[in-house]
Amino acid sequence: MTTETEPAAPLSPAVFAILLSLAPGEEKHGYQIMKDARTPEGGGVQMGPGTLYGSLDRMMRDGLVEESGFSDDERRRYYRLTVLGDSVLIGELRRLAAAVATARSLGLLAKGQRS
Amino acid sequence: MSRISRPRTSRLETLYSFALRLYPEPFRDRNARSMRQAFRDGLSDSSLSRRALISLVLRDLVFSLAKEHLAMLRDTYARPTLIFNAFVLAALSTGLALALYAIPQHVLRAGANDPQIAIAGDLVAKLAQGFPPADAIPAGRVDIARSLSPFVIVYDDQGKPLASQAELNGTIPALPPGVFYNVRQHGEERLSWQPVLGREHGVRIAAVVLRVGGPNPGFVLAGRNMREVESRIGDVQEMAGLTWIGMLVVILVGTAVFGWYTRPKAA
Repeated sequence: MTTETEPAAPLSPAVFAILLSLAPGEEKHGYQIMKDARTPEGGGVQMGPGTLYGSLDRMMRDGLVEESGFSDDERRRYYRLTVLGDSVLIGELRRLAAAVATARSLGLLAKGQRS
Repeated sequence: MSRISRPRTSRLETLYSFALRLYPEPFRDRNARSMRQAFRDGLSDSSLSRRALISLVLRDLVFSLAKEHLAMLRDTYARPTLIFNAFVLAALSTGLALALYAIPQHVLRAGANDPQIAIAGDLVAKLAQGFPPADAIPAGRVDIARSLSPFVIVYDDQGKPLASQAELNGTIPALPPGVFYNVRQHGEERLSWQPVLGREHGVRIAAVVLRVGGPNPGFVLAGRNMREVESRIGDVQEMAGLTWIGMLVVILVGTAVFGWYTRPKAA
């Protein structure tokens, strides 16, 4: 069962995009995550290798992601979400969903319009 | 002879590898290979133009280099032990600098009373033998604002001047009544006397006041302008201040160097 953990503060765009990219439970390497993050569905975050690996370092330190140990290439490292990372992502998504619902109720977003 | 040209991607990778050397060492050790691979993946990604990739990587280099170096500095220097040690050393050096000022200041100020102690004692002895005050004091006038020579003033038991070598702006300077009261209680008072209040006048006197006993009781003041002594005390203050700043700079540099060599290798 996934428990929801509210992040202490809104996540940075890079951290949110990385969590979102790894959310389906897949193990992904760095460039895959960068590519996912660039797409509108992945957050639309233009992230280079420095930002990606700096963020992954800090996320591993905070226990949000971990290296899976799998490697198809010596130079590629694969990452996956931890239980904590999963719950932090859900917490952030709920926070954003509540903000979107408020925006809709204020008429800032038409009902059914994608934010 | 055919010349084999290296593909453009290799040159870009080589340039990127050089750029990776700008990252802090622990970060580079952990991530350089993966970052090179991600760059290589980007070069071979047909959905991303070469221009877009280079632009993305250049922006990323600027921002992530700054971020990782700041993170490294934080990891290196924001360690409680390092900061605590630096504060303890700074506190010790502050105490030492204060002592370097306070001890010589005290010695110089106390030494400024030396001739007056002897002069006042001799004058009291003379007055006790029955010499009239006007005959007992040395001849001549001393402008206490300008001269560094010692001077004496004899007061009666109510504190009224009976004879004086000293003058300030043409008059005999008046001693605060509280001084006479203290001398009556304790027999002697050593003080820094400012005859005219206000910093602009700047006349400060190292004064020794003694009680005169016998049938004609009164008081004797022997004083001397403190200008020279205060100038020396100012020199001591300046040297102590420079020593303090020097010690703080040494502590700062030492802490920076020590922090750098003992920095966490894996952030």
